[in-house]
Amino acid sequence: MTDDALRDKNGGMAVAPSFRLQRWRVLVAVVAVALAIVIVPLFLNALWLRILISSVIFTIAATGTAVLYARLGLVSLAQVALVGVGGWVTLRMWHATGLPFEINALVGAFAAGVVGTLIGLPALRMRGLYLALITLMAAAGFQILVTGTQFPNGGTGVLGAAVNSVFMPRPFLGRSDTAMLRYVCVIAVLAYALIEANRRGHSGRAWALIRKSEACAMAAGVNVAFYKAWGFALSGFVAGLAGGLLAGTIGVLDATTFPASESVLLFALTVVGGAYNWIGQIMTGLLFRAAPAFLNDIGVDGNLAYVIFGAGLLHAIITAPNGIAGQMLDLVARWTSPSVKR
Amino acid sequence: MIAIGGISVSFGGVTALNKVSAIFNDAIVGIIGPNGAGKTTLLNVFSGFVEPDSGHIEIFGANLLAMAPYKRARWGLRRSFQTEQIVDDLSVGDNLRVVLDSLPDRKRRGNVEIAEALQFVGLLEKAGILAGTLNVFERRMVEIARTLVGSPKLVLLDEPGAGLRRQETEMLARMIREIHDRFGAVTLLIDHDVSLIAATCMSALVLDFGERIALGPTFEVLNDPRVKAAYLGVEDAA
Repeated sequence: MTDDALRDKNGGMAVAPSFRLQRWRVLVAVVAVALAIVIVPLFLNALWLRILISSVIFTIAATGTAVLYARLGLVSLAQVALVGVGGWVTLRMWHATGLPFEINALVGAFAAGVVGTLIGLPALRMRGLYLALITLMAAAGFQILVTGTQFPNGGTGVLGAAVNSVFMPRPFLGRSDTAMLRYVCVIAVLAYALIEANRRGHSGRAWALIRKSEACAMAAGVNVAFYKAWGFALSGFVAGLAGGLLAGTIGVLDATTFPASESVLLFALTVVGGAYNWIGQIMTGLLFRAAPAFLNDIGVDGNLAYVIFGAGLLHAIITAPNGIAGQMLDLVARWTSPSVKR
Repeated sequence: MIAIGGISVSFGGVTALNKVSAIFNDAIVGIIGPNGAGKTTLLNVFSGFVEPDSGHIEIFGANLLAMAPYKRARWGLRRSFQTEQIVDDLSVGDNLRVVLDSLPDRKRRGNVEIAEALQFVGLLEKAGILAGTLNVFERRMVEIARTLVGSPKLVLLDEPGAGLRRQETEMLARMIREIHDRFGAVTLLIDHDVSLIAATCMSALVLDFGERIALGPTFEVLNDPRVKAAYLGVEDAA
């Protein structure tokens, strides 16, 4: 009897009502995203297609920042630099080998995963402000490095930088802007799935215990160092993937896209968007790339976005620790369950 | 058999444990002593959170202190904490599963082991719900169940009775007495509640200011004048 009571038909643990609700929610989310992928690109002009592609790409990068922050309580301020690493390796690979985009981007993602793990090694000993500072220094280091060497664009030698750029072609499935937007959306869904699979498995349980207390995790047999490093590897991997997609969209990359300040901004917007829920990182991507463009579009200086971001961060820290996504979900919960009154 | 040999721990100038040696042969052993006696420090040496200045611990022939802390758990060491460490946003079952995750070859029997441990503490029907919804007693029970999955060899319980009502403490005592028969593990129990120790432990080690002042069958130890003095204050003995 004991065994039957614990297993549902999938062989997993018995599913409580709250989990059923989540499944229903996941289904709605999948349908919504699928519709958005098919329909939204049809109604956008060229500029907004590009902006949305870029927003989705940084949504992918933000899922990495969010997994470190929400699951492990770690602050990484090097995510945009890792996007740059992924982009650099993807371009280097293509100019050297001419292999299909997907292979180059995967190599780039793995490379960024390795670099991310190296940056995260201090996290095995420290956390909080000191770790944040170390990751920020790594981001600054990348900025200096890449400003000096530039991105590979068909030149000779290991660095492969030339005066006249050779553009890397778009991925086969993303030749037009409309197709590219759909392409990055599909990759984003895969990145989300990768992180969700980790969250639901061994890693997620280990992370949850580490966040609770490292002593408790060790006492339960969790290899704390490994699972922290794994968090950084995963976060770096999705950042690298985003970098490959950025390179794949534009064909060349420029050092000015990856200053350390952008890494800080991406982290701040991860908090504003909401790190604990997947919708949050979509918000992060939109705030990071679409919000400044939107302000420009309606005739306001796009730099004003930074002021809004600052206010948003204050708001998030003081009243909404779950970010915009958390507030949206609260709202939905209030609509769907009228018994809850506040 | 558990053999503790000459364990010394000092924090700065404070000696927390001073050459404590003891041999435990019983299935349930109590560790008692007044506040600051070094009980939790001794448990932390077992767990690997505190590295002793000297000494060794041998359990069933294994050199415990040579293993990394997380490997001790994989070897079969389990513990509960004074303030329970249950993860609110994991299900009750997943709070236990995390222990099995790090053990090889547990996939097939995992659910059975979790079910057995949860049934033992009376929480089987709550396996799928989030641990954050449990009450104080249930949370304590989840933590005890977590020490029982994955073939434990030695279970360390650090004040499991703290904050429980009398009825709950009696249930807890019944459970602790059954651990060895049901799961094959030896239990080391710390508690301020001497009645819980008396109700469960065959033998007890008494610490005071980091020194061993008594070791032996529980009823003898509790009647030892030095133990009484340590608990009631030295002026009684003077």
